[in-house]
Amino acid sequence: MAAGVETSRAWAPAPRYKTGVGGVAVRAVALLPVLFLVFWLPRFNDEWTNDAIYAAIFAMVGLSMNVLVGYTGQISLGQQAFVGIGAVTSANLLKTGTTAADPLSFAAGIAAGALVAAAVAAALGGIALRVRGLYLALVTLVFGSVTADAVFTAPSLNGQEAGVPAYRPTALQDNYWYYIFALAMVAVCLYVDVCVRRSKVGRGLIALRDNELVASAFGVNVLGYKLLGFVISGALAGLAGGVYTFWSQEFSDKNFTGTAGFNLALVFVVMAVVGGLGSRAGVVAAAAFFALLDPLFGGLANVTGWPDWYTGHKQYVQNLVGAVLLLQTVIFNPGGLGQVLTPFTRWFSGKPFSLHADADTGAALGGSADVRA
Amino acid sequence: MQVVADPFSTQLNLITPLISGLADGATYGLLGLGLVLLYKSNRIFNFAQGEFATIAAIVAFMFDTGSGWLPRTPYFVAIAVGVLAAVLVAVATERLVIRPLFHRPRVVLVVATVGVALFLIGVEGLLPYSKTASLRTISDALGVRSYVTQIDKVVVLDQDVAKLIALAALAILAFVFFRYTRTGTAILAVSQDATAARVVGISVERISMATWAIAGFLGGVAGVLLAVPPFGSVSPGSITGLSLTVAFSAAVLGGMTSLPGAFLGGILIGLIQQFANADHSFVPGLNSLPSAQSEVAVVVVLLAVLLIRPRGLLGRET
Repeated sequence: MAAGVETSRAWAPAPRYKTGVGGVAVRAVALLPVLFLVFWLPRFNDEWTNDAIYAAIFAMVGLSMNVLVGYTGQISLGQQAFVGIGAVTSANLLKTGTTAADPLSFAAGIAAGALVAAAVAAALGGIALRVRGLYLALVTLVFGSVTADAVFTAPSLNGQEAGVPAYRPTALQDNYWYYIFALAMVAVCLYVDVCVRRSKVGRGLIALRDNELVASAFGVNVLGYKLLGFVISGALAGLAGGVYTFWSQEFSDKNFTGTAGFNLALVFVVMAVVGGLGSRAGVVAAAAFFALLDPLFGGLANVTGWPDWYTGHKQYVQNLVGAVLLLQTVIFNPGGLGQVLTPFTRWFSGKPFSLHADADTGAALGGSADVRA
Repeated sequence: MQVVADPFSTQLNLITPLISGLADGATYGLLGLGLVLLYKSNRIFNFAQGEFATIAAIVAFMFDTGSGWLPRTPYFVAIAVGVLAAVLVAVATERLVIRPLFHRPRVVLVVATVGVALFLIGVEGLLPYSKTASLRTISDALGVRSYVTQIDKVVVLDQDVAKLIALAALAILAFVFFRYTRTGTAILAVSQDATAARVVGISVERISMATWAIAGFLGGVAGVLLAVPPFGSVSPGSITGLSLTVAFSAAVLGGMTSLPGAFLGGILIGLIQQFANADHSFVPGLNSLPSAQSEVAVVVVLLAVLLIRPRGLLGRET
């Protein structure tokens, strides 16, 4: 057997599977429950719509974490600061007062939130990414608490402590339509994520994550690519912040400072890890789950007859759930939720159903199948 | 202490920030010791260190006041039980979380300690006690007067003196431990090359457990010393939220690999914070600084150290 021929065949692209009409139909029918969950269930009542918007915002933050932690392998404990920067920028640029924003300046405000967050990420990353290894986690942690205390609580930025109102344009005044808008923004984040992953940048980042020395020997610009990943992640988080501030229709520093801000920072890390770093579907699903943790457990407590106890302890119950999910993920199941979902997402994208995932889900946690000490 | 009169008073500008800075610095140093120990031996940042401290304070508080179904015990027994609880939690962390992940990338271990911190916050919140715990001061428990001295109207709290003494004693003890005892050198050997350490007959598992037990002990001592009035009380997650970031900065400033460095870094960061926050209104142009000067000062120091001298003041290797 000619070894040379065999090796060159190993590099040939995998054969493309063509899905017939029947296959498309089956997949369309299977997609119906998902569409029902995403589009119809939030119509049920206004509270559910509200929760669904919150879940969409968390999904955006999850994707921003996915770009940073999943692809670059850097850990950020200050992502809530970028969300807050997006929120504070959008709210303060528009200064809607009590009138509805006009659609054009609304769009500009949201975009500005993302841009300012990206600029701050560039400035912070320019300094912090020069620092070796795990220290980035420390720097982002300190950055998060400092921005919270120095920027968000500045009286000129939080409406003299009363909150800055941020009213939506009339077309999005209805919560359900705002939910559709938030979903569109999630789609934008997904698109950016896909672009990053499939481009030269994404391959460079993953090479860096797996082995920085080897990647740089192959000509990957270490600092530049890391910085790019950091900036894109900051921009997505800032975008989520803009959507958040118009969801709550005001910017209030209390959501990003003190224990609340610290808790957010931890939840963002937890949901990205539990979702399975590197897997878009897993991260989005896990983010939605953590956003809906309070309504889900509140409902459960109501059914089982513990509503008062739950109200008094909700933060701690949620912490425990998050912690247990996180620990079981890193110890037993580094691929996270994404690994469970991969066969299905592959099937939906038109490939045959197979339980053997070939995605690099969880590789950021050292759990992929490749040989590594 | 808001005295408006004399902008050049030594009390306002020197003594008050000096004394509060030393007191705060002792807090950061105590937390920093545990952080440095685990970085030195495992090369990880332990984000659960603040919760080791919190759980010790809360358990001590529960035994001191006899809350829930617990018996009421004398003060020093309660303190001992609290510190023991922290040691047990740390050992359980090592056994259940750290050891299964030992051969994975360090970033995984760091994420896992974040998980442990979240878990402990949840557990503390579900324990049966009022959600803020304030322990008695040591002088209160002994029944002596509650401050030791007064310098130009500034009261020096004896709890702060106790913190400083405990910090200095623990830093020196730990230094001696690593330099002169078999277990201490074995910990260092394992941190440098686990396989080689195993070859010369060191039980890597036992050493790892010992390291975490010591870290839990240091955290526990920090907790029971911190959670006292008039300034200190502890609620689930409060030490992590308020002091852990600063303690990390202190440890980095002192050098992540140096135990005396944690002591020095803690004191320095405490002083920097307090002098940054002190009344600068007598210097033209400095009276309009934002309210968060102390936080900004800390992040500036942290970045400066990491960029200019990543091994810190007393750290050994880069």
